[in-house]
Amino acid sequence: MTRRFAGLVALAAAALLSTTLQAQSPKNGGELVFPVPSEPPSYDGHREETFGLIHPIAPFYNTLLRVDPNDKSGTKPAPSLAESWTVSPDGLTYTFKLHKGVKFHDGSEMTSKDVKASYDKIIFPPAGVGSSRKGQYADVASIDAPDPMTVVFKLKEKSGSFSTSLLSPYNFIYKADILAKDMHWYEKNIMGTGPFTFVEHVKGSHVVGKKNPNYWDKGKPHLDSFRAIFMRDSAAQVAAVRGERAHIQFRGFSPAERDSIVSSLGSKVTVQESPWDCILMVAINHEKKPFDDKRVRRALSLALDRHQASQTLSKIAIVKAVAGVQVPGTPFATPPEELNKLAGYWTDVEKSRAEARRLLKEAGVADGFQFTFSNRGIPMPYEPLGVWLIDQWRRVGLNVKQEVIEAAAYYTPLRKGDFQVAMDFQCGYIVEPDLDMYKFLSTDRNPANYGRYKDPVLDKLYDEQGRETDPEKRKQIIRQFEKRLLDEEAHYLMTLQWHRIIPHSAKVKGWTVTPSHYLNNTLDTVWLDQ
Amino acid sequence: MGPYIVKRLLAMIPTLLGVAILIFVLLRIVPGDVVEARFLAQGSQFVSQDLMNEERAKLGLDKPLWQQFTTWFAGLARFDFGVSMWTGGPISEEIKLRFALSLQLAIMASTIATLLAIPLGILAAVKQDTWIDYAVRIFSIAGLATPSFWLGILMILVMLTVFKWIPPMVFTPFWVDPWQNLAQLIWPALAVGYRYSAVGTRMMRSAMLEVLREDYIRTARAKGLWLKLILARHALKNAILPVLTIISLEFAFLLGGLVVTEQVFNLNGLGMLFVEAIARRDYTLTQALVMLVATTFLLVNFFVDIAYAWLDPRIRYR
Repeated sequence: MTRRFAGLVALAAAALLSTTLQAQSPKNGGELVFPVPSEPPSYDGHREETFGLIHPIAPFYNTLLRVDPNDKSGTKPAPSLAESWTVSPDGLTYTFKLHKGVKFHDGSEMTSKDVKASYDKIIFPPAGVGSSRKGQYADVASIDAPDPMTVVFKLKEKSGSFSTSLLSPYNFIYKADILAKDMHWYEKNIMGTGPFTFVEHVKGSHVVGKKNPNYWDKGKPHLDSFRAIFMRDSAAQVAAVRGERAHIQFRGFSPAERDSIVSSLGSKVTVQESPWDCILMVAINHEKKPFDDKRVRRALSLALDRHQASQTLSKIAIVKAVAGVQVPGTPFATPPEELNKLAGYWTDVEKSRAEARRLLKEAGVADGFQFTFSNRGIPMPYEPLGVWLIDQWRRVGLNVKQEVIEAAAYYTPLRKGDFQVAMDFQCGYIVEPDLDMYKFLSTDRNPANYGRYKDPVLDKLYDEQGRETDPEKRKQIIRQFEKRLLDEEAHYLMTLQWHRIIPHSAKVKGWTVTPSHYLNNTLDTVWLDQ
Repeated sequence: MGPYIVKRLLAMIPTLLGVAILIFVLLRIVPGDVVEARFLAQGSQFVSQDLMNEERAKLGLDKPLWQQFTTWFAGLARFDFGVSMWTGGPISEEIKLRFALSLQLAIMASTIATLLAIPLGILAAVKQDTWIDYAVRIFSIAGLATPSFWLGILMILVMLTVFKWIPPMVFTPFWVDPWQNLAQLIWPALAVGYRYSAVGTRMMRSAMLEVLREDYIRTARAKGLWLKLILARHALKNAILPVLTIISLEFAFLLGGLVVTEQVFNLNGLGMLFVEAIARRDYTLTQALVMLVATTFLLVNFFVDIAYAWLDPRIRYR
């Protein structure tokens, strides 16, 4: 009996292994259809800021480096147009060797001249040419192309994040000759080295790309084509996936939408989830009394029961993990047991709220003190988080009035400082402390710091961690930064980390969810099991 | 009739000028602009104030308001709508792309509304206070009480749950593939058409009841004319005037006002373009769309007035 059972187990294991191996072998063909909730204003990745550009346009391009498409943490660098790279001992020179035989869609060869021209446009744009990410490369002194297959970046100072910043999915490599003639050409035209070539863009409707038969990464892409359909309404996106008109939506669905798709499609759907590198924060205007008093700001944080909210709100909104300044589970994130020592992260909420009341009293804030909380007029997840915050603050005797401002008009009062306490938002294309913590620098260094404070200590810690190339030492500095930002000074309050939920057709293979909806959209590894 | 037509056409000019000033001013009063919507809405931290100022200058938003208005209005007078502040593409092309879908949907919905409203309204009036009248009244009141987008959601849910099917998501012109085209547009046309047929049915019924009580109808019946002939030749022509006004004005509204229905069925029409243009603070595109809708309303009103004269010989314009 035992032998027979063992035989059955072995047979089942062999069958499972065979199925797995079979499933892992990509099949060629088919068209991937996916809704995109936003449409790009132009095609120029160097200029735009929206995932609405990345999802339909990234498959036409390559970047110098990329995030490993199989890395769930979305932080591991992988070669793309650069096949290898070295860093000089002083950390100031980065040398990249390019892949040979890479061709643009017009048949011309891609060389270091093209990489240099593209990065010159991003980092040193001429007058009248917009570059949204110029500020991320302030440390770059020069870019050289000593031979057709080598690109050299020289930095002014050591940087712990420079190679990570090259993983930006927006940094498409354009053709130098075209840029030399017209720096704005790529705003209205598409021509890259990517796995797909451009077929059409019907404005407001869709973008179609077809397989690049001369793609340099042999054997890829697996799909014959893709069709990105612009669809603003999330109910329509859900219906598209449920009705099997679309395979996947790469941004994310809410828990209720996931459940609706799963209940309808059952085994025909696969769900991938990940913490999301987006977070809603509370900006406290330091220029308005009594919020200039750090005791009041700390009390606002201490009033929050983040641990309970993580369990309850995650059932109805796209939020989940309790987080500090880094996405939980990523290399520089603070472990939960350490994070729980910060004000507002204590597991004993009654003790936390008692401390909040004490601090408010000490700061002379009367019971029932009223203030206005400005929230952005976007339902998910602003609305549930706004309601939660107000409820939590009421529990320590604060009387909060919510003011909901239309999405497009939201940043006007924030930039002018015309608010008391407001919801603020940050979303990154990759989890990297330099990018994620820049938000909190003094207002003279970053006007997007809506807390409107100056904190030289925080600025110094930011600079120190950015220069530190030893990951362990860098982690320690980040911890100090986090403690000062969220606990000692309570300049900003974190709510909960967003949670990315991607229920997709089980036919879609070769795609891994990452913490950023800006990553993994080149589609070269994606295939359809049909 | 000739001078009246000229007078009416000339009267449109100050109306359109008023609309132009109003929409220009209103858009500038609303906080936020296209540059903020483009660069700040995604939560990026690295967009510098210099970049924002450069972009504003490129779009002419740094110029005085009167200069912005005169530049735009001078273009408008030459039928040049300019370029979209969001995409940089010509506005005429942005509108042209969506116009075919919106026009077809408006025609289909209006046709459905007319085909339902007129016969049902007449039937309810002729069979007043019978079960037929009650059934038509219930049908039309249900239509009035049901928003078309809600009906659209219901239709999609039923199709999804029962037939595991939803309409195509991309517009195919009728002349390219009639089946695909109708498979996408028939559902929103039914949802919207039913809603508007309800208004028309109620209007048709009450207008017909009123006409049927007129002396000339009584005389015609006394002379022994067939009821069908009385209805078609004498009653309908008079009763249809208010229904015609309602359906015509609704047609103008359908061209740019089907925002939610377009969203539900993911239709790339003018309604969605309108909402997106406002949300993105795309001043030039919003202004062009408002002018387009205002002109359509004025023209529809104008043609309705002309049709009145044709349908009712008692009406004479001098």
